[in-house]
Amino acid sequence: MFGELYDFHELIWRLFARDLSAKYKQSLLGNAWCLAMPFVAIGTFMYLNHAGILHIQHTSIPYPLYALIGLSIWQIFATGLNSGANSLVGAGDMVTKINFPREVLVIASMAQSVFEFLIKFGLIIVFFCVFKYFPSWKIIFFPIVLLPLLFLTVGLSLVLSLLNGVMRDIGNIVSLLLMFLMFLTPVLYPVPAKNFLLLKFNLLSPLINAPRELMTEGSIHQPVLFGVASVVSLLIFLMAWRIFHLAETKVPERV
Amino acid sequence: MYGGLDILQSTFGIIPDASELREDEFFSVDDVSFELKRGDSFGIIGPNGSGKTTLLKMLNGIFMPDKGRITVKGKMGALIQVGAGFHPMLSGRENIYINGAILGMSNKEIGRNFDSIVDFADIGDFLDSPVKYYSSGMYVRLGFAIAIHCRPDILLIDEILAVGDIKFHYKCLKFITNNILKNGCTVVFVSHDRYAVESICRKALYLKKGKMVKMGDTLETIGRYLEDVKNEEKVSEKKSTGNFDAQGITGVIFLDKEGQVKKQFKSGDAVKIRFHYSFKDMVPNPSIGITFRHHDPRFTIVSSTDNIFSLHSGYDGLEVSQLQGQGYFEVSIDCLYIPVGVYTCVVCLYTENRMNLVRLYEEAGALEVLWKDDKPQRSLIELPHRWTKTPEAAV
Repeated sequence: MFGELYDFHELIWRLFARDLSAKYKQSLLGNAWCLAMPFVAIGTFMYLNHAGILHIQHTSIPYPLYALIGLSIWQIFATGLNSGANSLVGAGDMVTKINFPREVLVIASMAQSVFEFLIKFGLIIVFFCVFKYFPSWKIIFFPIVLLPLLFLTVGLSLVLSLLNGVMRDIGNIVSLLLMFLMFLTPVLYPVPAKNFLLLKFNLLSPLINAPRELMTEGSIHQPVLFGVASVVSLLIFLMAWRIFHLAETKVPERV
Repeated sequence: MYGGLDILQSTFGIIPDASELREDEFFSVDDVSFELKRGDSFGIIGPNGSGKTTLLKMLNGIFMPDKGRITVKGKMGALIQVGAGFHPMLSGRENIYINGAILGMSNKEIGRNFDSIVDFADIGDFLDSPVKYYSSGMYVRLGFAIAIHCRPDILLIDEILAVGDIKFHYKCLKFITNNILKNGCTVVFVSHDRYAVESICRKALYLKKGKMVKMGDTLETIGRYLEDVKNEEKVSEKKSTGNFDAQGITGVIFLDKEGQVKKQFKSGDAVKIRFHYSFKDMVPNPSIGITFRHHDPRFTIVSSTDNIFSLHSGYDGLEVSQLQGQGYFEVSIDCLYIPVGVYTCVVCLYTENRMNLVRLYEEAGALEVLWKDDKPQRSLIELPHRWTKTPEAAV
């Protein structure tokens, strides 16, 4: 499984580099556009809060910083899932005319969303400086704590990309759901004291909060919940991979 | 919509019963089997929609057959659609690396073959421009150049050479015979160009509506295919009256020496061409010309202005002072030594002098010249000849 992935690491790299450099063609800012979304979203939320429409509870760290980190992590999931689900369909001719392991397409689009996170991470560092907030030294474990979210994203993308190949509705449903899922996940606001069911059973909530808490405060508030969520994510990933392999050959004839 | 069901089923390990077709489904390729060895060249021919590409895709492993089995040993290279996976915004240089990687080449291999690819594609200054500015020919050339450099053990080629110009076409055919086949690579070649199939393939398969009609020697298989095409043409011929009308030349037929109407002749056969005419009014000083056009575009390149073969009754000295009513002209050719192949002919009617063209009938008729016999050495034209031997001592 991973052996095959290693064999095709050059291809994954090529596809990733292709999408990356293609973003700069006939575009001035290219990949820097991924910074626009956090600015707009955080600005809007701050305005709504200021105007008294929303009541965001007090955060332990400056709100813009809190929101930026949350949003950046969220977008690994959101953009990864969105582009992952469309990766097979978007590749068009390649999928129907050339034989190669299709999961490289999904993984390459995932790599793209991780790369965008790295750009945003630069902005996070700037915010740390601006708000004179010093992150915990445990920030070095950040990539490890982020892994479950990546597994979840790739897993869901694999299955959704197949389904999208058969029924294009899936792509639309995914982008619609992602928009509302963001508001139902404590990304731009802290977990409310009253534990709402939806927030409690939201798998994404611990997966996004844990890395953020680790980065800023150096401790994970709900380690058990995070552990459970991680295991579930890994299971979803393994199952998805299996499904992908079984159904892979059925899809090109329908894309 | 069956796709979703299929995915669901295979997820739970249920193998759908593929021998039964569901509503609106059809077998694109049915009951086809063949075996190829190293260095074999195999052509697949057949009308559009006969399942040629689907068969290639199954060989390539893009599709899985619902029934039956495909066993392949070795690295497979497929040219099902050239330039699939090219990113329009990126330059040719970048696309060489990406496409190479998709086709399974490592970075090192691509680097090593880079100059050779560029050289073969012959895209010159366009190497660093985005491929969206490429002409369709350049696109195909680049795609083909990349694909042949992955050194596969088995190369699948779908009808892709048609887009390139003649020069590139021959470069590719030459490359396939001289380099790819010589290196022991197996080639499966799908084409509508019978001459390309003839020159590359030793064996051929004729598919029609997904069924195997004939498989075996290339020439025989192509012959069978052409026969089918002709039979279909005959049906459609009845529907339309052709280019002829009631006045002037009303028909052209070819006869063999027994006086039988035929459309196929062997090189060196005697042929009579009969031109039926019907004139209501008096026609002064008529003469008839006939020109044969070869179907193989190669001949047109060799001579774009001169035709393979043409005749003119006026220049040949047939003087007809005036003509009225019905009848026919006939020209006899004792030995038809023109290149083998399919010809269509253009018939011209002149009056008064040999230059005054009054009517021109395109596609007035068709005939095919075949090889004289099944000698192993075949050439495009045959000439009457005889061998002698003179021992040195006798001088």
